[in-house]
Amino acid sequence: MVFRVRHATHFQYQAPAYESHNEAHLRPCDDPSQLVLAFDLKVAPQGASIREFRDYFGNRVHSISIYPPHDALTIVASSLVERLPGFGGQPASMRFERYLTDDAVRTRKHCEYLTATRYVPFSDRLRKFFWMSRPRKNEDVVEYVMRTIGFIRDQFGYDTGKTDVHSSLDEILRAGGGVCQDFAHLTLGVLRLAGIPSRYVSGYLAPDPGTDTPGEQATHAWVETLLPGAGWTGFDPTNRCRTDIRHIRVAIGRDYADATPVRGVYRSAAGQNTMRVDLEVCPAPMAPSFGQSQQ
Amino acid sequence: MQSAAMVQSAGELGNVAPFWALYRAAHRTNLEAFDEMFDPQGRPRPGYSRVLADFLIAHADRFDEIRTRADRMFLNEGVTFNVYGDSAGAERIFPFDPIPRLIDAQTWSQLEAGLIQRVRALNAFLADVYGEGTILKEGIVPNDLIKTSPQFRRAAAGIIPPHGAYITVAGIDLVRAADGRFHVLEDNVRTPSGVSYVIKNRLVMTRLVPELIRATGARSVEHYPADLLACLCELAPSGKSRPTVALLTPGAYNSAFFEHVFLSQQMGVELVEGRDLVCVDHKLYMKTVDGLRQVDVLYRRIDDDFLDPVVFRPDSMLGVPGLTSVLRAGGAAIANAIGTGVADDKAVYAYTPAMIRYYLGEEPIIPIVETCLLRDPDARRMVLRELDRYVIKPTGASGGYGVVIGPSASDRELAQVRERIERAPADYIAQPVVQISVHPTIAGRGADGGAQIAPRHIDFRPFVLLGARPRVLPGGLTRVALREGSLIVNSSQGGGSKDTWVLSS
Amino acid sequence: MLRRIADHLFWMARYLERAEWRARLADVNYHLLVENPTGEPQSWAPLLAITGDGELFAEYHDAPNEAQVLDFFTFELRNPSSILSCINAARENARSLRHRLSSELWLEINTLYLDSQQWSHAVFEQGVYGFFSELRNRFHRVGGISHATLPRDIEFDFMTVGTMLERAENVSRLLDSKYHYLLPRLEDVGGTVDRMQWAAVLRSASALEAYRRVYGNQIAVEPVVEFLLFDAGFPRSARFCIDELEAALERIGRAAGGSREISDAASPMGRLAAALRAGKAGAVIGSGLHEFLMEVQDLCAGIGSIIFDKYLRFE
Repeated sequence: MVFRVRHATHFQYQAPAYESHNEAHLRPCDDPSQLVLAFDLKVAPQGASIREFRDYFGNRVHSISIYPPHDALTIVASSLVERLPGFGGQPASMRFERYLTDDAVRTRKHCEYLTATRYVPFSDRLRKFFWMSRPRKNEDVVEYVMRTIGFIRDQFGYDTGKTDVHSSLDEILRAGGGVCQDFAHLTLGVLRLAGIPSRYVSGYLAPDPGTDTPGEQATHAWVETLLPGAGWTGFDPTNRCRTDIRHIRVAIGRDYADATPVRGVYRSAAGQNTMRVDLEVCPAPMAPSFGQSQQ
Repeated sequence: MQSAAMVQSAGELGNVAPFWALYRAAHRTNLEAFDEMFDPQGRPRPGYSRVLADFLIAHADRFDEIRTRADRMFLNEGVTFNVYGDSAGAERIFPFDPIPRLIDAQTWSQLEAGLIQRVRALNAFLADVYGEGTILKEGIVPNDLIKTSPQFRRAAAGIIPPHGAYITVAGIDLVRAADGRFHVLEDNVRTPSGVSYVIKNRLVMTRLVPELIRATGARSVEHYPADLLACLCELAPSGKSRPTVALLTPGAYNSAFFEHVFLSQQMGVELVEGRDLVCVDHKLYMKTVDGLRQVDVLYRRIDDDFLDPVVFRPDSMLGVPGLTSVLRAGGAAIANAIGTGVADDKAVYAYTPAMIRYYLGEEPIIPIVETCLLRDPDARRMVLRELDRYVIKPTGASGGYGVVIGPSASDRELAQVRERIERAPADYIAQPVVQISVHPTIAGRGADGGAQIAPRHIDFRPFVLLGARPRVLPGGLTRVALREGSLIVNSSQGGGSKDTWVLSS
Repeated sequence: MLRRIADHLFWMARYLERAEWRARLADVNYHLLVENPTGEPQSWAPLLAITGDGELFAEYHDAPNEAQVLDFFTFELRNPSSILSCINAARENARSLRHRLSSELWLEINTLYLDSQQWSHAVFEQGVYGFFSELRNRFHRVGGISHATLPRDIEFDFMTVGTMLERAENVSRLLDSKYHYLLPRLEDVGGTVDRMQWAAVLRSASALEAYRRVYGNQIAVEPVVEFLLFDAGFPRSARFCIDELEAALERIGRAAGGSREISDAASPMGRLAAALRAGKAGAVIGSGLHEFLMEVQDLCAGIGSIIFDKYLRFE
């Protein structure tokens, strides 16, 4: 399945911005489950200095700098991504008490995905929440992950007004609702406390041609957990499901801070700016010229 | 040479004996600590005979005057430091003790080799943890210790400094234990400070006792700024023949501002603040009255946290937005590199002997002090059982802040530190109390009105420059705990300093 | 040379000059009151008017009396141009320059700063005149030490630019205020009070003795204006300031580029220099002294903003 993605981020400044330095996680990942057939990054104003690099997590990041004053900044990332089904093994069925025998090894090896981070602090509120949804000894690990995201979605409704991109776990727990980023962070918190290495994924969810009507689209976020026999396995708490062919991975990290789509610093006489994101993800006809090795 | 000095001062041994008797009488505590000047029989150690005869005994009546003159010189030169927590950056002079500390040539050559060995291993460690991470994969250093360290900077992954030089400047804190052996107490590979005092102390001593310095054969320390500049120039991208170097300071309120001024003047490079710099097209520039001027190498004296608000603390006003991406693009270089702090973490310290073996295939020349990581439950149980026998140090802090010395701590302090350890065990290490060496020091005024000389604890911070040709400044900062019995020598905690003479033969 | 350093030098010099001018102004105004004790409280209003502090003062006080005006003018921190505020600002700039100033100069500025932190109304109890004349001497000492210990280089030039620009503006404001606010009833023009006030104006500029050397005892509008605006040799005349300013800017321009844009005949610098070199008091008074002085101040502001854009702005 091939998808065409157009992800435009537009900043409008109240007073001209200058000395603007940004880092963008906008290029989809190349991995066994997806192939980036084409990628293009356009920045206005012209003359921006752009460098691509690979960060600690292996994400391909663009560093975008603009020195002279400008009233607006537009970053448009266009990708053609082929999503390949059938990669990644089926997680082995394993009861929690067995899983825990390797806990010490996992803690050493995957510590960064098991500890508290900026957006996922192990607060008292989170610990209480975890206590309500803690694993049972004889429960299957994959079932536990599914039960956790189900539990989270039962407790918290999708609500765009209650949190923002800087909201921490405690705010979501207090607010009683949130968006995909919040559900991902909350899931990370619970699973990490349970001892399951878990990481944050930012990306896109292509519309389901069967049920979705074309309309406004937004960037998406979900989690991946390290499961016995299967490696990193995606779960989408917002939609209460395993990730599937419609999930397009862009960046991974410990939390939102590691995978922020566009983040930056600029100078300006007035601090205010407005940001608008336009996202279009749609199935594209497979262009024969690409000739990829789809079986 | 050595025996000649002994013979020459033999005629004055009659004077040494009463001096020794008085001095020994002042030894109220720590009789077991190693005395740098005298052996247990009261004989001067190698090199000290002349200092003793020509300075301590010959000028005994002038010490007050000498010390006053020294203090005045420091004040006139503006050699001051700021103390955190004091109102609006109050300035003080670092108290100076004019009795020099000597290190003989043989001891020094061992130290020199050991220091270079150590810093090379630390540098190799940094290249490894920000690259392949083999030492972590092989479990020689615990992966989780590094990956959960706040000093492990993920932004440093993929920034390979020129010539792989993560560390350009290192300051290694050494102490001499009761057996007379030097031990490493702490590594400083972020922005070590103190070298300006080394040079200024020597300048003052040269004015006070020029003949004695010459006669003793103390090696010169004045070429340090030139050596540092040479190392910095080596980092210049694409081997520019005349690179532009600048020194980045947090500003006039920083505790080490004097040193920043001093080094920039000595090296003849611009002293800049973050707001003087700007990143354009992935290159670094400073804003001068005739426009932007490119900077090739930045000697930064700002911590990682404040270096670049795009990547680190977004509220930092001290840094340079975009600097990290300039470094990654190779548009400029900095010393020391981003992320070096993970190597001088006090918990990582425990693994430094293993690093030396792993990367260099050598045995460590300078031993470290036995260290318990309190994140380890067994070690924690052992230490908490006898807390008053250990020195407890927070892993993240430096400058002597937060250190609790068990034997001299009150019950309340011990209870507090116990609680802190139990709350966050990974943040602390414990070491047995080291009887660090003592040195004759002016301790006040005796009954006769003359200066009283008494033993005071000292440590030692030599400076290593790890350029293409590693070198150790032949000298270093000897800090002295001016309070009787005190083991804490940090300037922020009431310590003073001495000139250190490394003997040429 | 870093822009930040140039900026600190410029502002340190400017604030020192401003503080000094104010110290002199207060002294003279106080003196004038004592010598001419009309008892009218509004006699203090001119001081606030000359310095432009009137509106701000009115926010805190209803009717000015001597004590309130003196305090507000001298050490009120809510007044950004009180002498104390100026000293604080000068010292703050000096602090960042410390390694580039002579130790004597730093010590002098820092001691002045430390002493001034102790000020309260009690300082006037020993005599207002004594306080201000001592203060004025301390500023002279700062100036003297600068001249005696600093090398004449581009850094010194930036200080000169700050000093001279501030001084030229202050001279013109001083004249304007006398013309506007001190102007007594029509019948008094040329009378004793008027003459005394012009003498006070001269004294404010430390110009009385120098003036007498040229014009003798005759104190009148025209020669005073001539002297304070157009005299080429007196260090507090607007003409002198502008000559010094132009020379310093030329040296800076040679070292850093951009001199042409700054002193081009059509630039504020060029226009101001031309006006002051060709000007005659009689003609200027005839066609409106106030308008001329406004023009001088506008041009000074224009020069300031060009200097800022060209050399100082670092954002």
